Order: sequence, then C-alpha cells, then structure tokens
Amino acid sequence: MNGLTCRLQYRLEHFELDLDLQVASGVTILLGPNGAGKSSLLRLLAGLGQPDSGKVTLGEHCLYDSNKQIDLPPEQRRIGMVFQDLALFPHLDVIGNIDFGLKMRRIQTGERRQRVQLLLEKLGIEHLASRNVATLSGGERQKVALARTLVTEPQLLLLDEPTAALDPAARGEIRRWLQTILTRLNIPTIMVTHNAEEAAYFRKRVAVMEQGQIVQLGSFHQLLREPGSEFVARFVGVNYILGEVRSEAGKLQFVSCGGSRFLAPFEQVTTGPAFLTVLPWDIALYRELPEGSPRNHLHGEIREVVIIGDRVRITLSREDKLVAEISARGYIALGEPQPGEMFWAVFKAREARIENSDELPY
Amino acid sequence: MRRPRFFNLLLIGSGTLLGALILLPILALLLAGWSSGLLHLLGQPQVLQALWVTLLSSLLALPLIFLLGLPSAYGLSRCTGRLRRSLEILLELPMVMPPVVAGLALLLAFGRRGLLGGLLTDIGIRLPFTLGAVVLAIIFVITPFFVRRTVVLFDGIDQKLEEAALLLGATQLQSFLHVTLPVVRRGLFAEGVIALAQGIGLFGVIILFAGNLPGRTQTLSLAIYSAFENDPQQAFGLGALLLLISLLLLGTVHLLAPREGR
Repeated sequence: MNGLTCRLQYRLEHFELDLDLQVASGVTILLGPNGAGKSSLLRLLAGLGQPDSGKVTLGEHCLYDSNKQIDLPPEQRRIGMVFQDLALFPHLDVIGNIDFGLKMRRIQTGERRQRVQLLLEKLGIEHLASRNVATLSGGERQKVALARTLVTEPQLLLLDEPTAALDPAARGEIRRWLQTILTRLNIPTIMVTHNAEEAAYFRKRVAVMEQGQIVQLGSFHQLLREPGSEFVARFVGVNYILGEVRSEAGKLQFVSCGGSRFLAPFEQVTTGPAFLTVLPWDIALYRELPEGSPRNHLHGEIREVVIIGDRVRITLSREDKLVAEISARGYIALGEPQPGEMFWAVFKAREARIENSDELPY
Repeated sequence: MRRPRFFNLLLIGSGTLLGALILLPILALLLAGWSSGLLHLLGQPQVLQALWVTLLSSLLALPLIFLLGLPSAYGLSRCTGRLRRSLEILLELPMVMPPVVAGLALLLAFGRRGLLGGLLTDIGIRLPFTLGAVVLAIIFVITPFFVRRTVVLFDGIDQKLEEAALLLGATQLQSFLHVTLPVVRRGLFAEGVIALAQGIGLFGVIILFAGNLPGRTQTLSLAIYSAFENDPQQAFGLGALLLLISLLLLGTVHLLAPREGR
C-alpha cells in the first residue's frame, strides 16, 4: 500500500480539525467552503505545522505519530506541495527553480542536468527552460511550479487550488495538462479546489470538508445525486430544501420549512428533521398546472433568469426556492418567461431524494 | 485639485531652507578642503596611516557585523509578541547610548581592569588602545542599527518561499543560504555599505576605548580632531576627504540598491 493514511486532531481558532482519511494513488479532490481547514490540513501533512495528536503514514513510512513522538521535518517527508501562489524562487530562472530540489540533495551536476531535461520533455515545457520566472504567464508559472516539485520524485502530491489564479482560458488548458500528467504519475494526490467544474473534471474521488471534518466522500456523481449537506448541494448546483418528514394518515410526507408539501420515495427515512434534494434539470416549468400523474409542484414567481449557452437556469420562489435548468429551446417554447411572472415548477416524486438530517428545520 | 497658495509657498519655502542647510556646509567644507590641497594631503604619511586605519578597521568589522547580525536579525524576524519587543528594546540600548558613554562602558567591560579584563589578560589578549578595540567599538555601535534594518528585509520575505525550499528537500540552513539570503541580496548589500559608512564616521566611542594613537588606532575622524587643535587648514582637508569617501559610499548604495516605491 503506497497511499496516505492520516488520522489527526488539530485545534483551529473556531473549531477542531479532526479527521480520518485514506488517500490512494490518483487524484483525490478536497472540497470545502472557505475556512473549512483545507489549507491547514495540507500544511499539517507537509509538516509545516504540528498536529495536536494523531498519526500520519505514507506508504511504509511514518511521518508523524504523537504516541511515538515521531515528527519528520518537511524536508524528510518526500511530499511535493504546490502552493496557491506557487512561491517560485524569484532569484532563479526556470531551470534554477526546477533544479533546486536536486541541488539541495547534493546530486551531481551531470545527473541533475539529465533529470531536469528529461522532466522538461515529459511535461512539454522545454521551451521555458531559460526564461526568467517573472516573465512567465500564469499557466506557465503553474507548470514550472509542478515541475519543480516533481523532479524530487515526491511520494505524495498536495496541490492547493492549482487553477484558481488563472484566467478562464488558461484554466481549461492547465486542467487538461494536469490531468494528463497526474494520470501518468499515479501517486497519491490531494487537490484542493473551490471550483465545481474542477471537481467534475477530476470526478472519481471527492472528499468534502466542512468545519474541520470530512463530511462526505465519494464520486462527483454521488455528490450530485446524494449531496450530504447544504454546502455540497449548493456547490454542485442541486436544489436543497430543509424541512421535516411527517407521518399523516399512515403515509410519509415531506413538509418544507416554507410549508410546501412534497412526495418522494422515502427510502430509509424516518419522521423528523430532513432535507430534500432535486436536480435542476429534473424540474419542468409550466404556466398552467398540468393534469395527470401525482407530481410535486410549487407555484411561484420567477426571480432570476440566467442563460448559459444553450441552457437556461430559472430561479422560482414563493415559500420555498427552486432552481430549474431547461434547454434554450424549451425556454422559447414557454414564451421566454421573465422575472415577475408566475409559474409552476413540477418534478416527479421519484426524482426527489429525502434524507434525515441533524439540523433542525426551524 | 489646487491647494491654497499660501500653503504651497510654505512647503516650497521650508523645503528650500532645509536643502540649503544641508548643501551649504557640505559646499563650504569641499571648498575649504580643495583650497588646502586635498591631493597634497594624500602625500602625508600620517594622513595615509589614518586612512589605512579607518578602512582596515571598517573592513575588518564588516564581516563580523554580518556574521553576528544576519543570524540575529533572521532569528528576530521569526520572533513574535512580547519576546520580539523585549529583544528589540535590547537592540535599542546601544542605539540610544551616547557614543562617549558607550566608549566608557566598553572600557569597563573589556579594559584591563574591566569585567572581562582579567579573563582576557589570562589568555593573552589586550584590547584597549589596539586596532582590535577600534573594530570592537565599531561592531558594538553599528551592529544594532544593522540588525534593526535587516530585520525589516527578512520580515518582507514571503515565508512560503522558505517553506517551498524545505518541501523540496532543503534543510533550514540550506533554505536560509540558498533562498532567504539571495532573495534579499540587494538590500543586504545596501545595508553593508551603510554600515561601512557609519563605522567610518565613529568618533567618541573610539577615542575613549581605543585611544587616539596615530598609526594604530587613529582613524580619519580622530585625525581631524587632532588636526583641528593645531592646524585647522589640515582639518578641513581631512574633513573634505572623509566627506568624499562617504559620498562615494552613498552613491554606491543608490546605484546598486533596489529602487523603493514609486
């Protein structure tokens, strides 16, 4: 097993970082709201801070163990980290930056030159070799920062929001480039992101962190289908309605905080506080409530219309708020609804998912 | 936006006065020095000796100031809170001490009958009235100023650069030598030149601790003092010489130091 196993506790200002996490080879996305402790976690793993207690092992090596009083300094952990602002050395050129780690390990000049050259070719950035780091574009800087780390052959890679500082055009390119490189590399990699697109791009394993704890772990698809919290639902763009499950005349029913009633499959759900999630593209809009099969519906006023390419996101609210995503064609067929108009939002009972929550509905 | 005219006149007026106050004496000294034969001075053995003692003592002190000051300054920049404030006050002690008093204090610490006098005599070191005393006096007075200014340089370094170096496998010493120092190298160079210029101008502390022995401890500043009593013309010439050296150092700083702001 060459993955990372960590179990650690660390007191932060407002809450405690407390987690138990296994990271296997490949990319694991670490997702979470601002101030959830993501960067703190990366720093603790890298040895730039010391946990209060716990144990961190990477492959066979123990990096930290509070019981055995083991705490390897960062330079002995064989962890590569790319900071959000990259921290390229301003006094060295591109080659100097990439060569740095090898030079510190006192590897001979000939071998160093060879390894740097090989890596430059592998990453497709030979043309940057003699450039001054101050003249590089955002994307190029990102590539050099990763190269600088990879040349030391780390056993674990930590990437802190690698595309956050880039403009949208460069972001796509770097994301593709990263995916190619990281797939080929196949070492345990933790990538912190704020960006849903990025999570969708590296979609296999996503860990969600809130208030210092891992609250959900799964594929991006699972997050989309079964968001475990309001943050996740918002993040992936799923409707999230708080309320409670009531039993009325022997039948379960979901009553939102706003008072709307919805039906759902109610699998493994008991009465009490709960939340309902429904995907925006599973919601249809009508001017008149259609007759027929029993469906969930909400009558409300259109608050916002956002057109994204050939999709249109429409926010409708009354007592509760729902976001529907329909095709541009469907939008035109509806007569191009505008904010202020009243519409019916309708979705099938089986499209809704209800789960009990610890949060009180009121 | 226009300022009131009176206020503008006030700013320009006081600026002009201050400029005149700075430039006039400098000009007067250079003129007096020139007429007393600046080049002729360099032919006199006592002058050459004083110049030699001045440059030698400053150049000997400089590496020691760096050796002592750089790690201290770096350590201080990594301290926070009460500890940092206490250490900064400790540094300010020699800075507020009148130079003459500093000379007396050094004498009482390292002199023959001073606190460490016995110990130094036992191992065969006699400091007062030697070139070593000149160097020690310079180090004592200048290093705190040097540390105070270099702390600012180290404070300005992005700590992520050092963390990145550690994660790339550098030890803390390697990170200091290969990242921290090179990143602030231009600022450090400027601080070195300024320390040199300050050391050359010391007077009170040297005359009390090292004495005024021509050829051994008499620096240019002390030579000016001695000359002024017998031959003011000579003193003007020496003064102009010392001023030219300082101007040269100032020029070096501004040629090579990073431009700040604007």
